[in-house]
Amino acid sequence: MRGVTSARQQHQLAEAGEPWWRQRESERKRPNTRTSSTIPSPLCASSLKMACQALQSGESLATLKNESDSLKKKLEEERAKLHDVELNQVAEKVELVSALSIRTRRVLKGHGNKVLCMDWCKDKRRLVSSSQDGKVIVWDGYTLNKEHAVTMPCTWVMACAYAPSGCAVACGGLDNKCSVYPLSLDKNENLAAKKKSVAMHTNYLSGCSFTNSDMQLLTSSGDGTCALWDVESGQLLQSFHGHTADVLSLNLAPSETGNTFVSGGCDKKANVWDMRSGQNVQSFETHDSDINCVKYYPTGDAFASASDDGTCRLYDLRADREVAVYQKDSIIFGASSVDFSLSGRLLFAGYNDYTINVWDVLKGNRISVLFGHENRVSCVKVSPDGTSFASASWDTSLRIWA
Amino acid sequence: MSALLNVIQAKRMVDQLRVEAGMERFKISLAAAELVQYCQEHRRSDPLLTGITASSNPFKDKKTCILL
Repeated sequence: MRGVTSARQQHQLAEAGEPWWRQRESERKRPNTRTSSTIPSPLCASSLKMACQALQSGESLATLKNESDSLKKKLEEERAKLHDVELNQVAEKVELVSALSIRTRRVLKGHGNKVLCMDWCKDKRRLVSSSQDGKVIVWDGYTLNKEHAVTMPCTWVMACAYAPSGCAVACGGLDNKCSVYPLSLDKNENLAAKKKSVAMHTNYLSGCSFTNSDMQLLTSSGDGTCALWDVESGQLLQSFHGHTADVLSLNLAPSETGNTFVSGGCDKKANVWDMRSGQNVQSFETHDSDINCVKYYPTGDAFASASDDGTCRLYDLRADREVAVYQKDSIIFGASSVDFSLSGRLLFAGYNDYTINVWDVLKGNRISVLFGHENRVSCVKVSPDGTSFASASWDTSLRIWA
Repeated sequence: MSALLNVIQAKRMVDQLRVEAGMERFKISLAAAELVQYCQEHRRSDPLLTGITASSNPFKDKKTCILL
């Protein structure tokens, strides 16, 4: 009977390590409203059929392994052929960046513990930040006023995001969920009462982002998956499988370039996904350690990554390979976060050695080092109009630099 | 059971690699040129790069007036 999973199938799902929310899906007694292609469970009907067909047509494990090895080799050769020049060579004629006069303009104090994440509102002045102590605060960056504060029922709120309308914030962490809080103009109103649980993962929430509307939320999790959710109903719209370890970060492509996003994780891979089909369209693996953060270049044709190996790298999507590495022998601590300036020329990167380095994206050299934080920098984000950037740190403060 | 899972995983990987192998790629010289072009075209409208006056940047403190 369609939609009903036998006890044996449920056991198989559990054995295969399926997240519990997917098991629930198949337990539903009414027909599944989504097509089976959106949730590729290893033991779903289409996978079993595919495996049987493969075995029938003579493909054994050995032949499949051979084919995957030869395809990998072919991909390497194809990518190598395109490596005709380095980015900094193409950028030789570009004039050097003149000295930047960037320094701390605001220090936002109020969190009681490490600040783990922050996000700007589209109005360019408000920010939301989340902390290890479970607090989520909405600030006015100009006046330093705390406009809203919510205490989450869990600690380590690792992800927070502002809704495009500016009327809500999403956050989550060790509760394995992502919840949306509508922001009320009435300061006395208890925000926690209006909380809506949207996303459910089987491990911590590492990142969240609204798509171009308040209606959909994209999340990444320690359970190795990313997922797209409908905010109103809490329904899972699409899930993204491919990472073989915790996914630590995600970033949506700039709206002009269509429905894709990039994710980075503990498997040292950065994957680009098609949001509609759930397909992993490109994959990059050149870092030596966990990728902590991924961020698109303003055109959406490239993205940067920050890793525990102390380097930041630029990957071009059309050349399908890494095109620049931003590193120095003196940098031995991991990079936690990156963001581009408006023109894409500057890359701001926060590190575990408490500094923020500013890199010349095209020439590959470091332009300056910004000091100020007294502990690890956990998150760096440029404001929507590019006039400043904010940094969040384990020293419990946020700083706005301009 | 685990043999079946292995086959499924291997088939998945092969399918994934076939998708990636079929992708059209450009030379770095072309891709990099476009990155450089974008940076150059937008450099004047990048406040952090060019620096803007204190009066137009809400985060920079305005110079105070001294009444003599």
